[in-house]
Amino acid sequence: MDLDKLRKTAAEVVAREDVRYLLGWKKGTFGYRIAPGFVEDAESAAELIFSPLCTANLATYLTLTEKPPLPRGQEPDDRKVAVMVKGCDSRAVTQLLIEKGIERESVVIIGCPCPGVVDHELLAEKYPETEETAELKWSDKGFLLLQNGEETEIARDELLAEKCRLCRYPNPVVSDIMVGEPVETWEPDDDQGVAEVEGKNAEVRWEYWQEQFSNCLRCYSCRNVCPLCYCEDCILDRLNPTWIYRSVNFSENTAFNLARAFHLAGRCIECGECERVCPANIPLGKLNRKLAREVREKYGFEPGVDPEAEPFQASYKPDDPEEFIL
Amino acid sequence: MSEKPKVGVYVCHCGINIASTVDVEEIASFARDLPNVEVARTYSYMCSDPGQNLIKEDIREHGLNRVIVASCSPRMHEPTFRKTIQEAGVNPYFLEMANIREQCSWVHDDLEVATPKAKKLVAASVAKVRLLEALEETEVDAEPATLVIGAGIAGIQAALDIADAGFKVYLVEKTPSVGGRMAQLDKTFPTLDCSACILTPKMVDCAGHPNIELMTYSEVEEIGGYIGNFDVKVRKKARYVDFDKCTGCGDCANECRVKDRFPNEFDQGMGKRSAVYLPFPQAVPAKYTIDPEQCLYLTKGKCGKAPKCQEVCGVGAIDFEQEDEFVEFKVGAVIVATGFDPFDPSKKPEYGYDDYPNVITGMEMERLVSASGPTGGKITINNGEEEIEPKEVAFIKCVGSRDESVGNEYCSRVCCMYTAKQAHLVREKLPDANIRIYYMDVRAFGKGYEEFYDRVRRENVRYIRGNPSEIFKRGNKLVVKAENTLTSTPVEDEVDLVVLGVGMEPRKEMRDIMDLLRLSQSQDRFFLEAHPKLAPVDTATDGVFLAGCCQGPKDIPDTVAQAKGAASSAMIPLARGKVTISAQVAEVNEATCRGCGFCVEICPYSAIEMVTVNRFGYEIEVARVNEALCKGCGSCSAACLSDSIQPKSFRDWQILPQIAALGAMK
Amino acid sequence: MSANYEPNIVAFLCNWCSYAGADLAGTSRVQYPPNIQVIRVMCTGRVNPLYVMNALQQGADGVLVSGCHPGDCHYMEGNYYARRRLGMLKDLLEFVGVDPRRFHMSWVSASEGHKWKEVVEKTVEDAKEAGPFEGFRRRQIDW
Repeated sequence: MDLDKLRKTAAEVVAREDVRYLLGWKKGTFGYRIAPGFVEDAESAAELIFSPLCTANLATYLTLTEKPPLPRGQEPDDRKVAVMVKGCDSRAVTQLLIEKGIERESVVIIGCPCPGVVDHELLAEKYPETEETAELKWSDKGFLLLQNGEETEIARDELLAEKCRLCRYPNPVVSDIMVGEPVETWEPDDDQGVAEVEGKNAEVRWEYWQEQFSNCLRCYSCRNVCPLCYCEDCILDRLNPTWIYRSVNFSENTAFNLARAFHLAGRCIECGECERVCPANIPLGKLNRKLAREVREKYGFEPGVDPEAEPFQASYKPDDPEEFIL
Repeated sequence: MSEKPKVGVYVCHCGINIASTVDVEEIASFARDLPNVEVARTYSYMCSDPGQNLIKEDIREHGLNRVIVASCSPRMHEPTFRKTIQEAGVNPYFLEMANIREQCSWVHDDLEVATPKAKKLVAASVAKVRLLEALEETEVDAEPATLVIGAGIAGIQAALDIADAGFKVYLVEKTPSVGGRMAQLDKTFPTLDCSACILTPKMVDCAGHPNIELMTYSEVEEIGGYIGNFDVKVRKKARYVDFDKCTGCGDCANECRVKDRFPNEFDQGMGKRSAVYLPFPQAVPAKYTIDPEQCLYLTKGKCGKAPKCQEVCGVGAIDFEQEDEFVEFKVGAVIVATGFDPFDPSKKPEYGYDDYPNVITGMEMERLVSASGPTGGKITINNGEEEIEPKEVAFIKCVGSRDESVGNEYCSRVCCMYTAKQAHLVREKLPDANIRIYYMDVRAFGKGYEEFYDRVRRENVRYIRGNPSEIFKRGNKLVVKAENTLTSTPVEDEVDLVVLGVGMEPRKEMRDIMDLLRLSQSQDRFFLEAHPKLAPVDTATDGVFLAGCCQGPKDIPDTVAQAKGAASSAMIPLARGKVTISAQVAEVNEATCRGCGFCVEICPYSAIEMVTVNRFGYEIEVARVNEALCKGCGSCSAACLSDSIQPKSFRDWQILPQIAALGAMK
Repeated sequence: MSANYEPNIVAFLCNWCSYAGADLAGTSRVQYPPNIQVIRVMCTGRVNPLYVMNALQQGADGVLVSGCHPGDCHYMEGNYYARRRLGMLKDLLEFVGVDPRRFHMSWVSASEGHKWKEVVEKTVEDAKEAGPFEGFRRRQIDW
């Protein structure tokens, strides 16, 4: 990835009169941290990076734009927001277009073909983090780590994030501007995480998830980071009716996690952000990917690919599977 | 909820129907302890007058504002008790019924089992009734007019009936003349009435009727609104002939520079017409039309020194400056009578329709035997070499019907009979001809049909059971290759003329009408009726009715019957002058709606639309329900991720307490 | 599990087909297990899949959703939407280890009183085999 070109493109985009700001990735405060960058001028465009550390899905911020009440007579700022997207992120943008979460004219999509990002936890485990901000680049073999002035070559398989092993869309499916050449797609791995759970019997599965959900803190990080959980008034925050009680116990935790997964059925684009940010390490990706696979294989639908598609949960086919019906 | 709920629970014995398996007194005393319950009583027949009065008295005496009747199915007596409490001044939607008969006392025979279950059902009803909301039914005025789309026999008949009843009818026809397919037919089975003779009086009637506004050569562009209040926009296509001036003399067609150059649609392309034309001699209105795709002046901008038609027209009716006009009006009901397309036999290439001029369709045969047809009623056919009078004639039935290979599994219902009729007509005109009919089955189900079929067989018409596999040419003859499946012998039959008994297909332009009126198709691709048996002329869109072959293949008597049915259904709102809008409709919480439009996609009635509202200075899109269109099914609600759209009386916060009540008690 | 365990089943029935079918079962005096309690909705399309989860949480050992046969929906399409949504929910519940015998969906028309009996028997029998579903119960009930 040619960072100069990326920054130059970004600078050009933010210089446009019809663009309010640009969402990109920049270095965080220490170690492997990455922070979302809200770039408003050419100068700060120079801070942008794109590296295997850039796991964050910036599409989330498209629907988080603050809308403080406007004084009467004041026009809202309707300039476009530019956003840098990897393949998976671009599917979130597409899904937002399907759901009218954003309008096509309100965004400038800067596509960044992505050879796959790293699993931050694995990275920190194998190559312990230090205070110094580290750099990670893509190399021919996989990744090149620059930390404390040292360069280390790391094999791709060693660190590649699970969602990337399973990725089928490394290149953005929608973009206005592409930065860099499309990457060669790879054969996705079999989803062993899901298969492993499916291989157990119902009781063991229940126990497995009971253990996982019991750890849930109900911090709602998974909801907040999800680019497709953008209801301004989430049903989880409602009192009338109270779908799910706020108390943290196994029953409510399970209900919450199932409701969250179900609300994403046919919408989840498998960016893996929920699982990444979960402080309790609940394998939320498995839930999402299980449903995504069923949606794909049984119903022939893939969210976030075709902006003209009918939303999965708001459509049907006369020959949808019904072998489960008595 | 401003008013504190005061619930009255009424447990019905229903004679012994309930009381024999449910301890009704115990239910009542159980109910008294439920939250907000003021009164709980039992009575032998709640639905009787004394039973209803009991409720009314309690409402007055105890100030009840919610009522539970624990008795039979709400499908039975919900309207009764709604009325009861309304008469006592309580909103009729503050009623909930606990079905302790059909779904409890009648299906369980043990008092020990049925009583606890009945308690649960009552508890769940109490949980819900406390949270119900007052609803008001509204009435809106219905426009006393009807739009009829399509002026074939179905549309004409429906229009005449409604107009005769005194209501305004807008009859819109796409082609320049009314009459439709029936006008093209020669004789009608089984009575052999001349089609034109019985149809033309009706055509003339509908053109002259003071209550009918006929718009030919016109198409419906837009329909908005709902039952009682449809807004219609019609495009009147430019005829380039002044409608009021034209006398129908035909001088223009005679002098047209491209006279008789174009296939005449009415004669199925077998005759020719000019660029300025009258579709057929009896056309109504008898006004000429210039085909803009054929007229030299309109296509090339030049027609000799000056267009001849303009020169010869004594009244100066030709007007090349004419443009499409748009007319807008309101109607209370719509009848769709758009008819059918004959099956295109090119889709079955083995029959050689595209290759041999002497393979023709049933519709072409109608024109061939018609006295007003291209041959003046003489049956002559070009066999590829010369014009001959056929000696050997074969009919093939079920072409494009009952045939999965072309996607039409249905029976077209008319081919058996029209083939028999045409065989009879051939026999009449060519007494020496050898006539045979290849068939799969003979379906002669109508009044007088079987008798007619018998008569035709006695007229020396041979019925051969077998579906021909191929037609090919040998010398100057056509060979029909088939298997006689009754004798299991292969047949190679040399004939001069093959008539394909083509069936009916849905109109190609159906999609446009479907989109205009939110209609659906059934499995056979014709329009879907609201119920195949009990609502065969209604559609899922209130106020829209179906007549004729657009709903499925039909013969003329069935078409006319359905048209009359549609007319009388359409007149119900017109005669009443009002339509009632159901109160149990969905409602959007615009403050929480995120504008995703899932509900809009889902709604089978297109009752939901996105509207722009101002939320704290920002223009945002939210869903809004048109209460006149909504039927309250709630499919939108289950898909709404933010729970912002809810059907009244079946809201989440009314159902979840019911679930809790049923789950809580073991 | 004890042999005399009686499961508690909540059923969501559409007004036009299955509720009418259940009524017909009553009119025909067909006998079936009492474990089932019905909540009437206008259409299966109304059944928010979270109701199923909520019922299991609030004390049901099994849940049944029943509606019109495909193509027969009073509202034309509601049962198709329900089939898709609840099919997904069933996959999700199974994946987290909820016994598949706890949740069923069926098509019962207004004329199928006997089918309704069979569906109830199957649902009750399955829920019986699956046993009480205490693990997922909500801690307290408020209403």
